[in-house]
Amino acid sequence: MSNENYTARPLPVVVFADFICPYSYIALDQVDDLVRDYNVELLWRPHWLHPEVPPSGAPFPADSAPQERQARTLAWLREMAPERAAHVCFPEKIQFSLFAFEALEFAQDRGLALPFKTAVFETLWVEGRDIGQFSTLQAAADKVGLDADELGRALTGQRYRQRVHEALQLARDAGVSKTPTFVLGRYRIAGWHYYEVFQTVMEKQGVPLRSALMAGFSPKKDGS
Amino acid sequence: MLNEYIVEPGVIPWRAGQLAGISFKCQILLNGADGGPEVLRFRFDDCPSVFAHMHLTSQFQLLLHGRMDFPKSTMKLRAIAVHYTDHNFPYGPFAAAGGHDMMVLHPKPGGLITMADRDARRQINLKGRHLYGTADDTHWELMREFNAARAKPLIPPRSGPYAIMVECEPHALIEVGGAAEGRYEVVLAGSALLSGHTLLPPGLRYVHGDESPQPIEVGADGATIMLLGFDRDAREGGMTGDRLSVAAAAAIERSI
Repeated sequence: MSNENYTARPLPVVVFADFICPYSYIALDQVDDLVRDYNVELLWRPHWLHPEVPPSGAPFPADSAPQERQARTLAWLREMAPERAAHVCFPEKIQFSLFAFEALEFAQDRGLALPFKTAVFETLWVEGRDIGQFSTLQAAADKVGLDADELGRALTGQRYRQRVHEALQLARDAGVSKTPTFVLGRYRIAGWHYYEVFQTVMEKQGVPLRSALMAGFSPKKDGS
Repeated sequence: MLNEYIVEPGVIPWRAGQLAGISFKCQILLNGADGGPEVLRFRFDDCPSVFAHMHLTSQFQLLLHGRMDFPKSTMKLRAIAVHYTDHNFPYGPFAAAGGHDMMVLHPKPGGLITMADRDARRQINLKGRHLYGTADDTHWELMREFNAARAKPLIPPRSGPYAIMVECEPHALIEVGGAAEGRYEVVLAGSALLSGHTLLPPGLRYVHGDESPQPIEVGADGATIMLLGFDRDAREGGMTGDRLSVAAAAAIERSI
Protein backbone atom coordinates (compact mmCIF):
# COMPACT_ATOMS: atom_id res chain seq x y z
CA MET A 1 0.00 0.00 0.00
CA SER A 2 1.06 3.55 -0.58
CA ASN A 3 2.51 5.66 2.21
CA GLU A 4 1.73 8.82 0.27
CA ASN A 5 -1.40 10.90 0.43
CA TYR A 6 -2.43 11.70 -3.10
CA THR A 7 -5.62 13.39 -1.99
CA ALA A 8 -3.52 16.35 -0.87
CA ARG A 9 -0.99 16.51 -3.67
CA PRO A 10 -1.03 15.14 -7.19
CA LEU A 11 0.86 12.05 -8.31
CA PRO A 12 3.66 13.04 -10.69
CA VAL A 13 3.25 11.44 -14.12
CA VAL A 14 5.91 11.84 -16.78
CA VAL A 15 5.45 10.73 -20.37
CA PHE A 16 8.57 10.37 -22.50
CA ALA A 17 7.54 10.52 -26.13
CA ASP A 18 8.37 11.59 -29.64
CA PHE A 19 5.81 13.32 -31.84
CA ILE A 20 6.71 11.09 -34.78
CA CYS A 21 5.80 7.91 -32.86
CA PRO A 22 2.27 6.61 -33.67
CA TYR A 23 2.12 4.78 -30.35
CA SER A 24 2.79 8.04 -28.55
CA TYR A 25 0.09 9.66 -30.63
CA ILE A 26 -2.61 7.23 -29.55
CA ALA A 27 -1.46 7.53 -25.94
CA LEU A 28 -2.92 11.04 -25.98
CA ASP A 29 -6.39 9.83 -25.13
CA GLN A 30 -5.20 7.63 -22.29
CA VAL A 31 -3.19 10.43 -20.76
CA ASP A 32 -6.13 12.79 -21.11
CA ASP A 33 -8.32 10.19 -19.38
CA LEU A 34 -5.75 9.86 -16.62
CA VAL A 35 -5.76 13.60 -16.00
CA ARG A 36 -9.57 13.60 -16.08
CA ASP A 37 -9.94 10.67 -13.66
CA TYR A 38 -7.09 11.13 -11.18
CA ASN A 39 -5.26 13.84 -9.29
CA VAL A 40 -2.04 13.73 -11.31
CA GLU A 41 0.54 16.28 -12.36
CA LEU A 42 1.46 15.56 -15.96
CA LEU A 43 4.74 16.40 -17.60
CA TRP A 44 5.37 15.58 -21.27
CA ARG A 45 9.09 15.07 -21.95
CA PRO A 46 11.00 14.40 -25.16
CA HIS A 47 12.64 11.15 -26.19
CA TRP A 48 14.18 11.60 -29.62
CA LEU A 49 13.77 8.52 -31.76
CA HIS A 50 15.75 9.64 -34.81
CA PRO A 51 18.45 12.18 -33.99
CA GLU A 52 20.22 11.13 -37.20
CA VAL A 53 17.45 12.61 -39.35
CA PRO A 54 18.21 16.08 -40.81
CA PRO A 55 15.74 18.98 -40.45
CA SER A 56 14.38 18.30 -43.93
CA GLY A 57 13.49 14.75 -42.88
CA ALA A 58 14.64 11.43 -44.30
CA PRO A 59 13.05 8.65 -46.35
CA PHE A 60 12.07 5.47 -44.57
CA PRO A 61 14.76 2.83 -45.15
CA ALA A 62 13.88 0.76 -48.21
CA ASP A 63 14.60 -2.47 -46.37
CA SER A 64 12.02 -1.60 -43.72
CA ALA A 65 9.22 -2.23 -46.28
CA PRO A 66 7.41 1.01 -45.39
CA GLN A 67 4.10 0.01 -46.98
CA GLU A 68 3.93 -3.24 -45.07
CA ARG A 69 5.02 -1.55 -41.92
CA GLN A 70 2.35 1.09 -42.32
CA ALA A 71 -0.31 -1.56 -42.91
CA ARG A 72 0.79 -3.39 -39.76
CA THR A 73 0.75 -0.23 -37.70
CA LEU A 74 -2.68 0.68 -39.04
CA ALA A 75 -4.04 -2.75 -38.13
CA TRP A 76 -2.70 -2.23 -34.62
CA LEU A 77 -4.16 1.27 -34.38
CA ARG A 78 -7.55 0.01 -35.56
CA GLU A 79 -7.65 -2.46 -32.71
CA MET A 80 -6.22 -0.23 -30.00
CA ALA A 81 -7.63 3.18 -30.94
CA PRO A 82 -10.24 2.81 -33.69
CA GLU A 83 -11.38 6.44 -33.53
CA ARG A 84 -7.85 7.74 -34.02
CA ALA A 85 -7.14 5.10 -36.67
CA ALA A 86 -10.11 6.28 -38.74
CA HIS A 87 -8.48 9.66 -39.28
CA VAL A 88 -4.81 8.83 -39.19
CA CYS A 89 -2.55 10.13 -41.94
CA PHE A 90 0.86 8.47 -42.14
CA PRO A 91 3.85 10.70 -42.91
CA GLU A 92 5.74 10.04 -46.13
CA LYS A 93 9.14 10.47 -44.51
CA ILE A 94 10.78 10.35 -41.10
CA GLN A 95 10.26 13.82 -39.75
CA PHE A 96 12.61 15.95 -37.70
CA SER A 97 11.41 16.28 -34.10
CA LEU A 98 13.89 18.65 -32.49
CA PHE A 99 12.11 21.91 -33.37
CA ALA A 100 8.86 20.50 -32.02
CA PHE A 101 10.60 19.64 -28.75
CA GLU A 102 11.87 23.21 -28.55
CA ALA A 103 8.39 24.52 -29.22
CA LEU A 104 7.07 22.30 -26.46
CA GLU A 105 9.46 23.97 -24.02
CA PHE A 106 8.22 27.34 -25.24
CA ALA A 107 4.65 26.22 -24.55
CA GLN A 108 5.67 24.79 -21.18
CA ASP A 109 6.90 28.21 -20.05
CA ARG A 110 3.53 29.67 -20.96
CA GLY A 111 1.48 26.97 -19.22
CA LEU A 112 0.17 25.52 -22.47
CA ALA A 113 2.40 22.47 -22.97
CA LEU A 114 -0.44 19.95 -22.73
CA PRO A 115 -2.79 21.43 -25.33
CA PHE A 116 0.18 22.29 -27.52
CA LYS A 117 1.53 18.74 -27.57
CA THR A 118 -1.90 17.53 -28.65
CA ALA A 119 -2.00 20.14 -31.38
CA VAL A 120 1.42 19.07 -32.68
CA PHE A 121 0.48 15.40 -32.69
CA GLU A 122 -2.73 16.10 -34.58
CA THR A 123 -0.97 18.40 -37.01
CA LEU A 124 1.29 15.51 -37.94
CA TRP A 125 -1.01 12.49 -37.61
CA VAL A 126 -4.32 13.97 -38.77
CA GLU A 127 -3.38 16.83 -41.07
CA GLY A 128 -0.26 15.12 -42.41
CA ARG A 129 1.93 18.21 -42.06
CA ASP A 130 5.67 18.33 -41.54
CA ILE A 131 6.55 19.26 -37.95
CA GLY A 132 10.14 19.90 -39.05
CA GLN A 133 8.85 23.19 -40.50
CA PHE A 134 8.65 26.26 -38.25
CA SER A 135 5.43 27.31 -39.99
CA THR A 136 3.73 24.03 -39.00
CA LEU A 137 4.66 24.48 -35.37
CA GLN A 138 3.56 28.10 -35.46
CA ALA A 139 0.17 27.07 -36.82
CA ALA A 140 -0.19 24.54 -33.99
CA ALA A 141 0.84 27.22 -31.49
CA ASP A 142 -1.74 29.59 -32.87
CA LYS A 143 -4.47 26.99 -32.39
CA VAL A 144 -3.86 26.81 -28.64
CA GLY A 145 -3.45 30.53 -28.09
CA LEU A 146 0.33 30.84 -28.15
CA ASP A 147 2.02 33.72 -29.90
CA ALA A 148 3.14 32.19 -33.19
CA ASP A 149 5.48 35.05 -34.04
CA GLU A 150 7.19 34.84 -30.69
CA LEU A 151 7.56 31.07 -31.16
CA GLY A 152 9.14 31.72 -34.56
CA ARG A 153 11.70 34.01 -32.97
CA ALA A 154 12.41 31.48 -30.21
CA LEU A 155 12.99 28.73 -32.76
CA THR A 156 15.17 30.87 -35.00
CA GLY A 157 17.25 31.96 -32.01
CA GLN A 158 17.47 28.39 -30.71
CA ARG A 159 16.33 29.79 -27.38
CA TYR A 160 15.25 26.40 -26.03
CA ARG A 161 17.88 24.20 -27.71
CA GLN A 162 20.01 23.71 -24.59
CA ARG A 163 16.99 22.92 -22.45
CA VAL A 164 15.83 20.29 -24.92
CA HIS A 165 19.25 18.65 -24.98
CA GLU A 166 19.19 18.52 -21.19
CA ALA A 167 15.74 16.96 -21.29
CA LEU A 168 16.90 14.40 -23.84
CA GLN A 169 19.86 13.58 -21.63
CA LEU A 170 17.48 13.16 -18.71
CA ALA A 171 15.54 10.59 -20.72
CA ARG A 172 18.73 8.71 -21.56
CA ASP A 173 19.88 8.83 -17.93
CA ALA A 174 16.52 7.46 -16.89
CA GLY A 175 17.07 4.51 -19.22
CA VAL A 176 14.20 5.38 -21.51
CA SER A 177 14.47 3.30 -24.65
CA LYS A 178 10.88 3.06 -25.82
CA THR A 179 8.26 5.59 -26.78
CA PRO A 180 6.03 6.24 -25.13
CA THR A 181 7.40 5.48 -21.67
CA PHE A 182 5.19 6.41 -18.75
CA VAL A 183 6.48 7.05 -15.25
CA LEU A 184 3.54 7.02 -12.87
CA GLY A 185 4.88 7.65 -9.39
CA ARG A 186 6.91 4.54 -8.51
CA TYR A 187 5.87 2.61 -11.61
CA ARG A 188 7.25 2.69 -15.11
CA ILE A 189 5.41 1.39 -18.16
CA ALA A 190 7.54 1.10 -21.29
CA GLY A 191 5.50 1.22 -24.46
CA TRP A 192 1.84 1.86 -25.13
CA HIS A 193 -0.56 0.10 -22.81
CA TYR A 194 -4.23 -0.22 -22.08
CA TYR A 195 -5.86 2.44 -19.93
CA GLU A 196 -6.94 -0.25 -17.47
CA VAL A 197 -3.25 -0.84 -16.75
CA PHE A 198 -2.91 2.78 -15.71
CA GLN A 199 -5.97 2.40 -13.50
CA THR A 200 -4.37 -0.61 -11.81
CA VAL A 201 -1.15 1.34 -11.23
CA MET A 202 -3.11 4.23 -9.74
CA GLU A 203 -4.92 1.88 -7.37
CA LYS A 204 -1.68 0.20 -6.33
CA GLN A 205 -0.39 3.60 -5.23
CA GLY A 206 -3.57 4.60 -3.48
CA VAL A 207 -4.38 7.42 -5.87
CA PRO A 208 -8.10 8.12 -5.51
CA LEU A 209 -10.44 8.86 -8.37
CA ARG A 210 -11.30 12.53 -8.68
CA SER A 211 -14.95 11.53 -8.56
CA ALA A 212 -14.40 9.93 -5.18
CA LEU A 213 -12.65 13.03 -3.91
CA MET A 214 -15.45 15.24 -5.12
CA ALA A 215 -17.96 13.00 -3.40
CA GLY A 216 -16.16 13.66 -0.15
CA PHE A 217 -14.30 10.38 0.04
CA SER A 218 -11.08 10.75 1.92
CA PRO A 219 -8.84 7.68 2.07
CA LYS A 220 -6.67 7.05 5.07
CA LYS A 221 -3.00 7.70 4.79
CA ASP A 222 -2.27 4.00 4.18
CA GLY A 223 -4.52 4.13 1.14
CA SER A 224 -7.18 1.87 2.69
CA MET B 1 10.70 -37.29 -9.83
CA LEU B 2 10.33 -36.76 -13.55
CA ASN B 3 7.21 -36.23 -15.63
CA GLU B 4 7.54 -36.88 -19.32
CA TYR B 5 5.23 -36.48 -22.28
CA ILE B 6 6.01 -37.57 -25.83
CA VAL B 7 4.18 -36.23 -28.87
CA GLU B 8 4.31 -37.50 -32.43
CA PRO B 9 2.35 -34.88 -34.42
CA GLY B 10 2.27 -37.05 -37.54
CA VAL B 11 -0.42 -39.25 -36.00
CA ILE B 12 -2.61 -36.45 -34.66
CA PRO B 13 -5.48 -35.20 -36.86
CA TRP B 14 -5.86 -31.63 -38.02
CA ARG B 15 -9.10 -29.77 -37.52
CA ALA B 16 -10.27 -26.60 -39.22
CA GLY B 17 -11.18 -23.62 -37.10
CA GLN B 18 -12.30 -20.05 -37.37
CA LEU B 19 -12.19 -17.29 -34.80
CA ALA B 20 -13.01 -13.62 -35.27
CA GLY B 21 -12.84 -14.03 -39.03
CA ILE B 22 -9.45 -15.76 -38.92
CA SER B 23 -9.34 -19.20 -40.51
CA PHE B 24 -6.79 -21.77 -39.49
CA LYS B 25 -6.02 -25.43 -39.00
CA CYS B 26 -5.16 -26.78 -35.60
CA GLN B 27 -3.71 -29.87 -33.95
CA ILE B 28 -4.14 -30.52 -30.25
CA LEU B 29 -0.81 -32.07 -29.42
CA LEU B 30 -1.21 -32.05 -25.63
CA ASN B 31 -4.50 -31.05 -24.05
CA GLY B 32 -3.39 -30.32 -20.49
CA ALA B 33 -6.33 -32.32 -19.16
CA ASP B 34 -4.23 -33.57 -16.24
CA GLY B 35 -3.15 -30.03 -15.38
CA GLY B 36 0.12 -30.68 -17.16
CA PRO B 37 1.53 -29.29 -20.39
CA GLU B 38 -0.65 -27.98 -23.20
CA VAL B 39 0.56 -27.79 -26.79
CA LEU B 40 -1.42 -26.58 -29.78
CA ARG B 41 -0.20 -26.32 -33.34
CA PHE B 42 -1.74 -23.67 -35.59
CA ARG B 43 -1.51 -22.98 -39.29
CA PHE B 44 -3.11 -19.60 -39.90
CA ASP B 45 -4.21 -18.70 -43.38
CA ASP B 46 -2.63 -15.41 -44.43
CA CYS B 47 -4.12 -12.86 -42.07
CA PRO B 48 -3.24 -9.19 -41.62
CA SER B 49 -4.31 -9.02 -38.00
CA VAL B 50 -4.66 -11.78 -35.41
CA PHE B 51 -6.28 -9.93 -32.50
CA ALA B 52 -4.35 -8.94 -29.37
CA HIS B 53 -4.69 -11.50 -26.61
CA MET B 54 -2.98 -13.10 -23.63
CA HIS B 55 -2.79 -16.46 -21.93
CA LEU B 56 -3.01 -17.27 -18.25
CA THR B 57 0.29 -19.14 -18.20
CA SER B 58 3.74 -18.57 -19.62
CA GLN B 59 4.06 -19.49 -23.27
CA PHE B 60 6.46 -20.22 -26.06
CA GLN B 61 5.41 -19.73 -29.66
CA LEU B 62 7.69 -21.75 -31.92
CA LEU B 63 7.36 -20.60 -35.51
CA LEU B 64 8.13 -23.61 -37.70
CA HIS B 65 7.36 -22.07 -41.07
CA GLY B 66 6.21 -18.75 -42.52
CA ARG B 67 6.26 -15.40 -40.85
CA MET B 68 4.64 -13.37 -38.11
CA ASP B 69 4.91 -9.59 -37.98
CA PHE B 70 4.20 -7.71 -34.77
CA PRO B 71 3.59 -3.96 -34.54
CA LYS B 72 7.06 -3.31 -33.18
CA SER B 73 9.21 -2.63 -36.23
CA THR B 74 12.03 -4.89 -35.10
CA MET B 75 9.75 -7.78 -34.30
CA LYS B 76 9.44 -9.60 -37.58
CA LEU B 77 9.56 -13.29 -36.94
CA ARG B 78 10.75 -15.52 -39.75
CA ALA B 79 10.91 -19.27 -39.18
CA ILE B 80 12.65 -20.66 -37.31
CA ALA B 81 11.73 -18.19 -34.57
CA VAL B 82 10.63 -18.20 -30.96
CA HIS B 83 8.45 -15.77 -29.04
CA TYR B 84 8.01 -16.03 -25.26
CA THR B 85 5.59 -14.29 -22.90
CA ASP B 86 5.06 -14.57 -19.15
CA HIS B 87 1.59 -15.42 -17.85
CA ASN B 88 -1.05 -12.71 -18.35
CA PHE B 89 1.14 -10.73 -20.71
CA PRO B 90 -0.69 -9.43 -23.79
CA TYR B 91 0.74 -9.34 -27.28
CA GLY B 92 -0.40 -8.59 -30.80
CA PRO B 93 -2.19 -7.97 -32.98
CA PHE B 94 0.14 -9.71 -35.39
CA ALA B 95 0.06 -10.62 -39.05
CA ALA B 96 0.60 -14.21 -40.14
CA ALA B 97 1.63 -15.19 -43.67
CA GLY B 98 3.85 -17.28 -45.88
CA GLY B 99 2.61 -20.76 -45.00
CA HIS B 100 2.38 -20.07 -41.30
CA ASP B 101 2.95 -23.06 -39.01
CA MET B 102 3.41 -22.54 -35.29
CA MET B 103 3.47 -24.49 -32.04
CA VAL B 104 2.06 -22.86 -28.91
CA LEU B 105 3.61 -24.48 -25.85
CA HIS B 106 2.47 -23.97 -22.26
CA PRO B 107 3.60 -25.65 -19.02
CA LYS B 108 -0.09 -25.99 -18.10
CA PRO B 109 -3.41 -24.98 -19.68
CA GLY B 110 -3.36 -21.29 -20.50
CA GLY B 111 -6.70 -20.49 -22.13
CA LEU B 112 -7.16 -17.47 -24.36
CA ILE B 113 -8.17 -13.97 -23.32
CA THR B 114 -8.93 -11.34 -25.93
CA MET B 115 -7.74 -7.91 -24.93
CA ALA B 116 -11.12 -6.54 -25.97
CA ASP B 117 -12.18 -7.82 -22.52
CA ARG B 118 -11.76 -4.71 -20.40
CA ASP B 119 -11.94 -6.60 -17.11
CA ALA B 120 -9.12 -8.84 -18.29
CA ARG B 121 -6.94 -5.81 -18.86
CA ARG B 122 -7.01 -5.26 -15.11
CA GLN B 123 -5.30 -8.66 -14.74
CA ILE B 124 -2.34 -7.83 -16.98
CA ASN B 125 1.00 -8.88 -15.53
CA LEU B 126 2.76 -5.52 -15.21
CA LYS B 127 6.17 -7.12 -14.77
CA GLY B 128 5.68 -9.66 -17.53
CA ARG B 129 8.53 -10.48 -19.88
CA HIS B 130 8.30 -10.54 -23.63
CA LEU B 131 11.24 -12.19 -25.38
CA TYR B 132 11.89 -13.30 -28.92
CA GLY B 133 14.59 -14.39 -31.30
CA THR B 134 15.04 -15.76 -34.77
CA ALA B 135 17.48 -18.36 -36.06
CA ASP B 136 18.58 -16.07 -38.88
CA ASP B 137 19.54 -13.30 -36.47
CA THR B 138 21.34 -15.50 -33.96
CA HIS B 139 24.94 -16.65 -34.32
CA TRP B 140 26.07 -20.20 -33.82
CA GLU B 141 28.00 -20.93 -30.63
CA LEU B 142 29.81 -24.01 -29.45
CA MET B 143 28.10 -24.99 -26.22
CA ARG B 144 29.89 -27.25 -23.78
CA GLU B 145 26.56 -28.16 -22.23
CA PHE B 146 25.65 -30.10 -25.36
CA ASN B 147 28.87 -32.05 -26.06
CA ALA B 148 30.28 -29.04 -27.91
CA ALA B 149 27.45 -29.16 -30.44
CA ARG B 150 26.76 -25.97 -32.38
CA ALA B 151 23.84 -24.09 -30.91
CA LYS B 152 21.94 -20.86 -31.41
CA PRO B 153 20.56 -19.30 -28.23
CA LEU B 154 17.52 -17.56 -29.72
CA ILE B 155 16.54 -16.64 -26.18
CA PRO B 156 19.67 -17.03 -24.05
CA PRO B 157 19.46 -18.74 -20.64
CA ARG B 158 20.37 -15.52 -18.83
CA SER B 159 16.88 -14.27 -19.77
CA GLY B 160 15.28 -16.80 -17.40
CA PRO B 161 13.25 -18.77 -19.90
CA TYR B 162 15.40 -19.94 -22.78
CA ALA B 163 15.20 -21.18 -26.36
CA ILE B 164 18.28 -22.92 -27.70
CA MET B 165 18.47 -24.51 -31.11
CA VAL B 166 21.04 -27.31 -31.06
CA GLU B 167 22.56 -28.81 -34.19
CA CYS B 168 23.50 -32.39 -33.37
CA GLU B 169 25.93 -34.66 -35.18
CA PRO B 170 24.70 -38.08 -36.34
CA HIS B 171 24.51 -40.59 -33.46
CA ALA B 172 25.44 -37.97 -30.88
CA LEU B 173 24.24 -38.43 -27.32
CA ILE B 174 22.99 -35.15 -25.85
CA GLU B 175 22.66 -34.91 -22.07
CA VAL B 176 20.06 -32.26 -21.34
CA GLY B 177 19.76 -32.41 -17.54
CA GLY B 178 16.73 -31.90 -15.33
CA ALA B 179 14.08 -29.26 -15.88
CA ALA B 180 12.71 -28.08 -12.55
CA GLU B 181 10.24 -25.67 -14.21
CA GLY B 182 9.62 -27.71 -17.37
CA ARG B 183 11.22 -27.93 -20.79
CA TYR B 184 10.09 -28.78 -24.30
CA GLU B 185 12.48 -30.51 -26.69
CA VAL B 186 11.26 -30.22 -30.27
CA VAL B 187 12.87 -32.02 -33.20
CA LEU B 188 13.11 -29.49 -36.03
CA ALA B 189 15.14 -31.54 -38.51
CA GLY B 190 16.57 -35.05 -38.76
CA SER B 191 15.50 -37.57 -36.16
CA ALA B 192 16.18 -38.43 -32.54
CA LEU B 193 15.34 -41.06 -29.99
CA LEU B 194 13.75 -39.50 -26.93
CA SER B 195 12.68 -41.71 -24.04
CA GLY B 196 12.43 -44.70 -26.33
CA HIS B 197 10.48 -42.96 -29.10
CA THR B 198 11.97 -42.10 -32.47
CA LEU B 199 10.74 -38.61 -33.22
CA LEU B 200 10.62 -36.92 -36.59
CA PRO B 201 9.95 -33.18 -37.05
CA PRO B 202 8.18 -31.65 -35.26
CA GLY B 203 7.97 -34.40 -32.65
CA LEU B 204 8.54 -33.32 -29.09
CA ARG B 205 9.20 -34.36 -25.53
CA TYR B 206 8.17 -32.38 -22.47
CA VAL B 207 10.07 -33.03 -19.26
CA HIS B 208 9.40 -31.60 -15.83
CA GLY B 209 11.29 -32.47 -12.66
CA ASP B 210 14.65 -32.47 -10.96
CA GLU B 211 15.72 -35.84 -12.34
CA SER B 212 17.49 -35.89 -15.65
CA PRO B 213 15.58 -37.49 -18.49
CA GLN B 214 17.23 -40.01 -20.75
CA PRO B 215 19.75 -38.34 -23.03
CA ILE B 216 18.69 -37.48 -26.57
CA GLU B 217 20.05 -40.03 -29.01
CA VAL B 218 20.49 -38.41 -32.38
CA GLY B 219 19.59 -40.38 -35.51
CA ALA B 220 21.81 -41.40 -38.39
CA ASP B 221 21.29 -38.16 -40.31
CA GLY B 222 21.83 -35.87 -37.38
CA ALA B 223 19.17 -33.60 -35.93
CA THR B 224 18.32 -30.04 -35.08
CA ILE B 225 16.53 -29.76 -31.77
CA MET B 226 14.95 -26.75 -30.08
CA LEU B 227 15.09 -26.71 -26.28
CA LEU B 228 12.49 -24.42 -24.73
CA GLY B 229 12.93 -24.06 -20.98
CA PHE B 230 10.57 -22.32 -18.58
CA ASP B 231 11.58 -20.59 -15.37
CA ARG B 232 9.66 -19.76 -12.19
CA ASP B 233 6.92 -17.92 -14.08
CA ALA B 234 5.68 -21.37 -15.13
CA ARG B 235 4.36 -21.75 -11.57
CA GLU B 236 2.27 -18.60 -11.85
CA GLY B 237 -1.21 -18.06 -13.21
CA GLY B 238 -3.16 -20.93 -14.69
CA MET B 239 -6.81 -21.85 -14.72
CA THR B 240 -8.05 -21.18 -11.21
CA GLY B 241 -11.79 -21.35 -11.79
CA ASP B 242 -12.33 -17.62 -11.48
CA ARG B 243 -14.30 -15.64 -14.05
CA LEU B 244 -11.26 -14.93 -16.17
CA SER B 245 -10.24 -18.61 -16.22
CA VAL B 246 -13.72 -19.66 -17.25
CA ALA B 247 -13.68 -17.11 -20.06
CA ALA B 248 -10.19 -18.18 -21.11
CA ALA B 249 -11.17 -21.84 -21.21
CA ALA B 250 -14.33 -21.08 -23.17
CA ALA B 251 -12.41 -19.03 -25.72
CA ILE B 252 -9.84 -21.74 -26.35
CA GLU B 253 -12.63 -24.29 -26.61
CA ARG B 254 -14.40 -22.18 -29.22
CA SER B 255 -11.26 -21.65 -31.23
CA ILE B 256 -10.19 -25.30 -31.47
